[in-house]
Amino acid sequence: MLDGDFPDVLRLAACGDAAAFARLWRDTHPPLLRYLWVSVGDAAEDVAADVWLDVARRIGSFHGGELEFRGWLFTMARRKMIDRHRYEARRPVSPTANGELFERQAPDDTVAAALEYISTETALALIATLPRDQAEIVVLRVVAGLDASAVAQIVGKSHGAVRVAAHRGLRTLRERVADAAVTSPGRGGVTL
Amino acid sequence: MRVFTASLAEMWFSARRRTRLSPDEATAEFMLAGRRLGQQAPASQRTLELVLAAAAGPATERELAGETAAVAAFVAALPEPEPARRRGPRRIPVLAVAFMFVALVALCGTAEAGALPAPLQQLAHQAINAPAPPPAMRVPRPSADVTPGPGATGSHSASAGSGPSQEPRTGKPGASPNPTHTSASQGNGNGQPTATASTQPTTSTTDNGKGNGGTPGQGGSNGNGNGHGNG
Repeated sequence: MLDGDFPDVLRLAACGDAAAFARLWRDTHPPLLRYLWVSVGDAAEDVAADVWLDVARRIGSFHGGELEFRGWLFTMARRKMIDRHRYEARRPVSPTANGELFERQAPDDTVAAALEYISTETALALIATLPRDQAEIVVLRVVAGLDASAVAQIVGKSHGAVRVAAHRGLRTLRERVADAAVTSPGRGGVTL
Repeated sequence: MRVFTASLAEMWFSARRRTRLSPDEATAEFMLAGRRLGQQAPASQRTLELVLAAAAGPATERELAGETAAVAAFVAALPEPEPARRRGPRRIPVLAVAFMFVALVALCGTAEAGALPAPLQQLAHQAINAPAPPPAMRVPRPSADVTPGPGATGSHSASAGSGPSQEPRTGKPGASPNPTHTSASQGNGNGQPTATASTQPTTSTTDNGKGNGGTPGQGGSNGNGNGHGNG
């Protein structure tokens, strides 16, 4: 998060300053890519590029703080993600065309790898095993750093529905990891 | 460490009080907000905490590999400043001149049609030789052109004259003419003209000439137009 620097960075980026835009991109692109990776899989990079192109065109008209900017960014990303799903639904040759990307079960080696060493990709792979709405909400809250109200606006649900979905997602995630509990000596005796 | 644990516990209880969540829900909200539970948390929760922390971990090189391309796309997507500058100053004068031209034409047309309010019509009459405003619309000049006669008030109000003032279109001889049409040639009912400024005939077009011309007082000064022209 850019915190106090965000207003200046945004203003410069809106004026066409490439360095300011790069700083904005470095700060926001990783969570955006992770959100899209959980949502659309391998197409995440393409969708993210489209999102940033829209940001470049419309950043001059944006007004708000850093959280509002993130909400704006992820809202655009979600719309493009939905467009992507529709596009893929019309082209069943795509591996994610059947819409089961978010419902896929975690392969055994995923959990095992998580217990050995939890990398960002592994953690995202675990989250991606959750039902679609739960995975999306968990990523928006944990990875994007948005509160429940902002997430509710992005996904078009009520505050309570977002909270319930996030709690269910965490409970499911905890159960899946706890089922394969082992002890990881490299993490100070933390039971995994 | 004790202070840290105590503050965590305090935050947990305050969050629970605020939202009335169950312990699991409060813990979930705690983790979703990116806070650490501490060493005393159950193992399953700490495992989950590690997973969430890894998902929100720092950016990897792979994720940041596209920075150059993204910045290049940003620069390419910027609107070109030069055409925008060129367009800005030109559009405003063209629009303003066009608007002023249309407004001027409309004003002149209205003036030629004689539909402007009296003061403006008078101004247009003097400026561009538009038709003069009708006498009834003229601005009264009470002090310059009124000579008070006997029994007359000398004003241009509706009560001038001794005849009945509420019969504007009767056209009867001796009756007081319509005050709205006699602002410049008001009689006093006794045949004495009291106003002498206007040289134009009155505009009572619906009245017959007999009525206007028959009034003794009106024929004296400027009632000729009424008596002959309209009759």
